[in-house]
Amino acid sequence: MPFDQLLIDPADVAALERGVAVLGSGGGGDSRTAATLLRRRLSAGREVAVRPIADVPPDAWVVPVGVVGATAVFTEKLPGGHEFAAIVSAIERWTGTRADALVSIEIGGLNGMMPLVAACDLGLPTVDADLSGRGVPRLDQLTLAAADRPLAPAALAEPGGQVLVLGAGTPDDLERTARAFLSSAGGWAALALAPIPVRELAACSVPGSVSGALRLGRRVLDLGESPDPAKVADATSGRVLSLGRVVDVTRRPGPRHHGRAGFAQGSVTLAEHASGALLRLEMENEYLLALRDGLVVATTPDVLTVLDRRTAVPIACDTIRAGMEVMVLQLAIAPFWTVPGRIDVLAPRAYGIDCDPVLLGADR
Amino acid sequence: MTSVRRLLALPEWSGQVRVLAGAAGLDAQVGSVRPVAGPVAGPGAADPVAADELVVVTGPMETADWHVDALLRRVVDAGGAGVLVPSGAPTATLLLADRLGLALLGATGDPLELLVAARLLLAAPELDRARLVLAAHRAFDDRTHTPETVVRILRDLIGAPVALLDDRGRPLAGDLTAAAAVRVGEFVPQRADLPDGVLLAHPALLPGPARPAYWLAAELTGTAAARADVVPPALAVAAAAVQRWLLAHRLELERDARARTALLGDLLRLDGEPSAQLRRRVADAGWQVGGWNIGIRIGATSTFDIVTGTAEISRVLRAEGIDAVVVEHGDGWTGWVSFAQEPTAARVRALAARLRAANRKLQGSISDHMGVGRPHPWPDGLAGTVAEATDAARLAATRPESGFFLHVDQLGMAQLLLEWTRTDTFEPAARALLAPLRDQPGDLVRTLSAYLDAESSIAETAAVLGVHRNTVTARIDRIERLLGVNLTHRDERLALHLACRTVDLPER
Repeated sequence: MPFDQLLIDPADVAALERGVAVLGSGGGGDSRTAATLLRRRLSAGREVAVRPIADVPPDAWVVPVGVVGATAVFTEKLPGGHEFAAIVSAIERWTGTRADALVSIEIGGLNGMMPLVAACDLGLPTVDADLSGRGVPRLDQLTLAAADRPLAPAALAEPGGQVLVLGAGTPDDLERTARAFLSSAGGWAALALAPIPVRELAACSVPGSVSGALRLGRRVLDLGESPDPAKVADATSGRVLSLGRVVDVTRRPGPRHHGRAGFAQGSVTLAEHASGALLRLEMENEYLLALRDGLVVATTPDVLTVLDRRTAVPIACDTIRAGMEVMVLQLAIAPFWTVPGRIDVLAPRAYGIDCDPVLLGADR
Repeated sequence: MTSVRRLLALPEWSGQVRVLAGAAGLDAQVGSVRPVAGPVAGPGAADPVAADELVVVTGPMETADWHVDALLRRVVDAGGAGVLVPSGAPTATLLLADRLGLALLGATGDPLELLVAARLLLAAPELDRARLVLAAHRAFDDRTHTPETVVRILRDLIGAPVALLDDRGRPLAGDLTAAAAVRVGEFVPQRADLPDGVLLAHPALLPGPARPAYWLAAELTGTAAARADVVPPALAVAAAAVQRWLLAHRLELERDARARTALLGDLLRLDGEPSAQLRRRVADAGWQVGGWNIGIRIGATSTFDIVTGTAEISRVLRAEGIDAVVVEHGDGWTGWVSFAQEPTAARVRALAARLRAANRKLQGSISDHMGVGRPHPWPDGLAGTVAEATDAARLAATRPESGFFLHVDQLGMAQLLLEWTRTDTFEPAARALLAPLRDQPGDLVRTLSAYLDAESSIAETAAVLGVHRNTVTARIDRIERLLGVNLTHRDERLALHLACRTVDLPER
């Protein structure tokens, strides 16, 4: 093989799972099922290569893939195994372009690993990049949309066998159509977007995010049990916002969009052990905003992650509950997003939170 | 100013407002109440919360809105009093309010009506104060009121005891039990806590550096103490009325003083019989000018305002049983005591003793020193006894051992003369005069002193000193040469004799 590629080892799966879960910022879906699927394939002797963008021929075509919909259903209604093959061939047929490699649409959570499973099954390599750099809830929040590239044509395949191709449409249209499709389909679907020539990929993606998630996961795993906050901050290059007990979790239905229910919202409040300071996290699918004693201290697009205090396992927004002993961690977002004009796509106001972004490093 | 707790007791608020959290902040002072349409539209960087402000969210709001938390924090950071929301609040917000110690109130009634009720309560002291000030202005109109009237009017206005105190806290009009609580040295409006109320005091000052201060003080006890914030402006208005009276009074004093000083000048310049017109002026002034007069001179302390002290000096002298005329004159007072016949030595001594006692009383506050002359007959002797008193006063100023008091009697003339030689001007001159004799062999200063004491007798001098008469002759020759004087000349002899005394004296 002439390329400097990264072959995922079965032993790496645990670290990758931890890394993508941390980057999920509380969302992105449960990565456990995806990790099991990947581990199973690698143990059976199948290989998946993760190639740096620079090492892929510039004229090669990369197809972005991932899973959309209710990721909780994904664990209950397992994939049949045909979904990725169906969407990639649908995209190939629609565009007349052959897929040379796959790229993840979202490194945070489930989608940090499922493209690797798909690559195993399709015998394709993956590119060391993704289209969000963290967990994001909507398709119109991908880097492609921020870089003004079209997402369509896009293909969706649900486990029941239906395959849908959206030939044309704005990212906003795609988001709406996909949601409408998902509600009538099984709750989740595999998604493939229009192929991207590799030479253009670096400008419209977050490069190096798969290897980055793997490294982050390894460092978090190396922290061991009940890690010291300072060590956690050091290992992740982040900032520990609080270490304490969850004293209150409230969930409420979100505002309606286009006649359909929006994402549910919620608040998590924890009391810091050392000072008694209250940290309030506002969440939808991800943790979006952190207030310390009423003062906004961190917001999306930075990654806000809640770790179990003992095991350092990330706790998702839908599983956090009162009484948990946790540590709240803020990680800097990928530089792609801090460019003016792009940050609005992931800034608090993109989630209906009337507040300017407060990023790591900005207040230091 | 009121408190959150007081607001909760409002009839409009009770039953309509619940304390959701932050009970520790219920005693916070509320200075103003601000309506905001919603937590998002609430005060921000451009329009910050003021200290002691209670923020009332009037519009509908999402209960779980994190902006409420942010609003609580901004209010706490600005020193605000609390937040009232039109609904409940989630646990997160309740916990934060408790942690910040900020009163978080939940309204079931219309927040705007609650706001109006709170504002009326806050404005009540202002209205009360305004009414009282207007009433005070009407009462203390352009006319000049005596202190008694001012005190009476103010007492009726505020319904509490009022008094006008002088610069030592003694009442001039009205009476207060707690007058001692006024700090008379600080010329600013004062407020002192009493066991069962508040004492308020406002100074009434005359312009200028020598400013005797008067204090208008009111004692608010019992329920009246609640008006402690309402009364001070009215007190200030009344103090202005006192000040007006002080100025008018002062003008009168100055005019009188000027007339009397002029009359005194005419009397002291008198030679021969006074004219009928002058006698008339003396009679109009109510001055006693008897057959015999004893002059008095009183020196004022350096900073004292002389015009205002005359009445006090007359009062002290009367208290000692001395019926004297006292007139502002230069940097002190000049006066005299009159007798129909020439006073006996015993009467003069008794008078001097009483004057000495009066001087002790005046000492320090008003006067610095006092001199008393000898009895002289009217009319031409008046200037003489006053001149003696003036000389004596000048000497008394330097004599703490006699209580800064000196009486020139007949026996004291020699002493008076000697006192003169001890003045600061004469002593260095004497030392300079005898300086050539110092450090010479033969004890020349003592020889000269003995020679002059012995009425220029060589033999007597030799006997006093225990030396041979030729030695004395030789020494006298040397003295005359060294000093360049002729000891047969009476003026030079006198000067040297005084100088010898002065140089000898300090060693006594």
